[in-house]
Amino acid sequence: MAIQILPDDLVACIAAGEVVERPASVVKELVENAIDAGATDIRIECAEGGKRLIRVTDNGSGIPSAEAPLAFAHHATSKLARAEDLAEIRTLGFRGEALASIAAVSQVTCATRHADETSGTLLRFDGGRLIGQERIGRAPGTTMTVEHLFARMPARLKFLKSTQTERGHIDGMVTRYALAYPHIRFTLVHDGRVSFQSLGTGNLRDVLVDVYGADAAAQMVEVGAAASDVPESSIRVYGYASLPTLDHANRSKITLFVNGRPVQDAKLSYAVAQAYHTLLMAGRYPVAVIMVRVPPAEVDVNVHPAKAEVRFRDADAVFGAVQRAVRRALLEGMTPPEAPTILSKWPADHREAVAPAAGDERLPRDAQPTAATQPSLSGSEAWARVGIAKQTGALGGQTAAALPTAPATRNLPALRILGQLAESYILAEGPEGLYLIDQHAAHERVLWERLLAQHELGALPSQHLLDPAPVTLPAESVHLLEEQLDMLRDLGFEIEPFGGNTFLVRAVPALMIQDDIAAALREIVADLEMGDAALRRDLEARVLRRVCKRMAIKAGRVLSFAEMQALVRDLEACESPRTCPHGRPTMVYLGLKQIEREFGRLG
Amino acid sequence: MRLSCLQENLARGLSIVSRAVAPRTATLPVLTHILLATDHGRLKIAATNLELGISCWVGAKVEDEGAITVPARTFTDLVALLPADRVDLELNIRTQTLRVRSGRTDANIKGIDAQEFPIIPTFQDAATARIDPTVLKKMITQVVFAAATDESRPTLTGVLTKLEGDTITMAATDGFRLSVRSDRLKEPVSEPRTILIPAKALVEVGRVMGDQEEPVAIGITPSHGQVLFHMKDVDVVAQLIDQKFPDYEPIIPKRHDTRTIVNTAEMLKACRQASIFARDSLDTVRVLVKPGEELEPGKVTVVARADETGDNQSELEATVVGNEIEIGFNVKYLIEAFSAVDTPQAAIETTQPRSPAVIRALGDDHFFHLVMPMHLPKG
Repeated sequence: MAIQILPDDLVACIAAGEVVERPASVVKELVENAIDAGATDIRIECAEGGKRLIRVTDNGSGIPSAEAPLAFAHHATSKLARAEDLAEIRTLGFRGEALASIAAVSQVTCATRHADETSGTLLRFDGGRLIGQERIGRAPGTTMTVEHLFARMPARLKFLKSTQTERGHIDGMVTRYALAYPHIRFTLVHDGRVSFQSLGTGNLRDVLVDVYGADAAAQMVEVGAAASDVPESSIRVYGYASLPTLDHANRSKITLFVNGRPVQDAKLSYAVAQAYHTLLMAGRYPVAVIMVRVPPAEVDVNVHPAKAEVRFRDADAVFGAVQRAVRRALLEGMTPPEAPTILSKWPADHREAVAPAAGDERLPRDAQPTAATQPSLSGSEAWARVGIAKQTGALGGQTAAALPTAPATRNLPALRILGQLAESYILAEGPEGLYLIDQHAAHERVLWERLLAQHELGALPSQHLLDPAPVTLPAESVHLLEEQLDMLRDLGFEIEPFGGNTFLVRAVPALMIQDDIAAALREIVADLEMGDAALRRDLEARVLRRVCKRMAIKAGRVLSFAEMQALVRDLEACESPRTCPHGRPTMVYLGLKQIEREFGRLG
Repeated sequence: MRLSCLQENLARGLSIVSRAVAPRTATLPVLTHILLATDHGRLKIAATNLELGISCWVGAKVEDEGAITVPARTFTDLVALLPADRVDLELNIRTQTLRVRSGRTDANIKGIDAQEFPIIPTFQDAATARIDPTVLKKMITQVVFAAATDESRPTLTGVLTKLEGDTITMAATDGFRLSVRSDRLKEPVSEPRTILIPAKALVEVGRVMGDQEEPVAIGITPSHGQVLFHMKDVDVVAQLIDQKFPDYEPIIPKRHDTRTIVNTAEMLKACRQASIFARDSLDTVRVLVKPGEELEPGKVTVVARADETGDNQSELEATVVGNEIEIGFNVKYLIEAFSAVDTPQAAIETTQPRSPAVIRALGDDHFFHLVMPMHLPKG
């Protein structure tokens, strides 16, 4: 094929691909235009996840009729005049690309009326060409209707995900803007059903309630409340961050805005997570909405076509400011450990002697060491001595990490239980040494194999609930769960949508009858959200792993001798008893040879 | 304080209050102690963990009034090993030390000032209701087991107790089953009351009630914060759960398609056998109900299967009115439910495999148990 200059409309299509990746990108561009136009009420309507129709209606300034057709030309914008302005961008849009790109790949109808004019304009575009213009009457503001997105780009159309997934992306996009602009009232309608609405009160906490639910919002503290009078020339960080009582399995609930623009910045979300250092368990992340305001000259937003990334002139200063602000808010927001609730519940006179302390009385601890746990004392002492020997270097450079895990035969040797260590590990004697078994990991493995075996046979048995339990999820997780209802049914969860963000749980896996259903479901949804859409098998495994993790006995629980015996016997029967379903070892082995060496009996 | 009492009375009193002693990890040291106080010529022994408080009175010869708290474990262990004879208790107020003498034993136990012990509400006001002890005991055995035991759902760890007219109704559920019993009070209550009593507290009431024949008085503190069970020589006070119990009335099925009458003991045995095999299959069993034909009686079959263990089925004769049905259950729920039935025959009412089943004691209309079925995969 000969080299040739591409026709204009093809160029437009290719360029559009950069800006318009999926329906959610169209929503993003249109919503940004509405915000830039000073709208206070933005309504987004979608049909079939935006694939058939996206309509964004605002009450902003509108476009003067003379300029309207020009708005759809490439590189046409009202937001930028000179190259110098690029250094100080105060609007969300500026590239003058969005409308042209959208128009290039769909059918666009634009109805607008400028506040100063008496009549409005209606424009129709098909594939980027103006095919109709007429005067209409309407209220000030703009309504953009985008239909048949990518109809002219079959390649792109093919790569769109299911309606549910695209809806999820749109939901995520709209809720992010609602958080960034609490004074704007957002209404999101999917297929004629209102799926999200913010009130536009100007109070970020109200939006938090709309997005995350009242429960979660109550567990979030304000960040940077004290620093509201910071001069515009310096960095200001504000927003809301969750207390350590509310966490999430991944970073996806850390929402960041730079100058009102939602951004994805690994470094900034790391800064937020870093502020929780030692407050959250490893592998858990906070829920946070953090706004960063920097002088426009300090940040370059012209990095990414969809403007999802930004570059800071002084990235470290921003990083530090975010981390400090969040940390300060947390330390102020966290009340000192409360006295156990049972103390405060008792209205009878309990005098000043009520000392606030963090002891958990509910933890079942035997009042006295039973015969079963007694031997563990001697065991743990021996172990401690080994540890000391290592620390003092008497061990000839061998480190704790070099402790061999148990010998690599598939099945376990017969083990004799000696006792329990630190209420977390079972000590057992094998033919050639001492085995330390992590009770939680071991139980997880046992449950996991039992569930897998059952699952091979078909669906897992499920226990019906007396009264279906309603569970409310964050708006953006709703579609994800809706997509996976069938898969979850096979695993024993009978869940059905109950309108809005609420689901009704009718049955749970037989294993989970002792659990807090709402909390379990939220964790499962978080697991499903992690990473890309995986194969059904992987998703099933994720859910089952979560079920096992929740139902396995926890570290810190005193086990009776019989319980330990039963657990070890079950573990012996496992296919791969040496690791838990997450891949961590279930046991550590301390060989007799090694013990003898450490006591200096062997050279 | 100076008094003497019999070792066996003291030991019995200590064992009654022992369940209310806070664990050793308690933040308030005095909660791990037992209060000993003279009270109108008797010795009062009391313990509380602030959720539950138990007081017990034993006969004693009081020479000097007084009160002290002593570490529960030390004192209980010591008393258990004393000879079955007279025990002399004497308090040295200056050192807050209790001297315990019996036979050749002479011990001194360091205590904490009784002033620091939380005040356990006592039975002062008129009783809200009075109930026959056997009636109360039966209610506790038939209802309390259905309450949730995990702390993640505090509401369901309580037993809903309704007092209305001369009727008392108790209901408990863990979200998968529901047990309800109503019975008669000694006399009508002045106004209807509904409270949520922790299941744990009711278990204690059942335990300490013993064989007493006098009616048990139930009192609710004016603030509605606590409930008090006043028995002969023993008071149990429990913190009420301040939450709303789910409304269970709408869940109760109004009709049934199949009514199966079985011998309670036979059914229980079949379930127990099945449970051995169900251990490795998440406690799931299938119950097959088949109506009788002209010459054949109806029958119920309980089937359990675990790939590793093997399988088991037990069949028993039954009177079946209605359609044939196969329905899955958690066998532990069945065992607990049929154990609660104290009539020779039990009725099982079912509609379809996904709807609740109702278990009744035949001839005792006051008891009612509802259990949700399991959905079992075919195979």
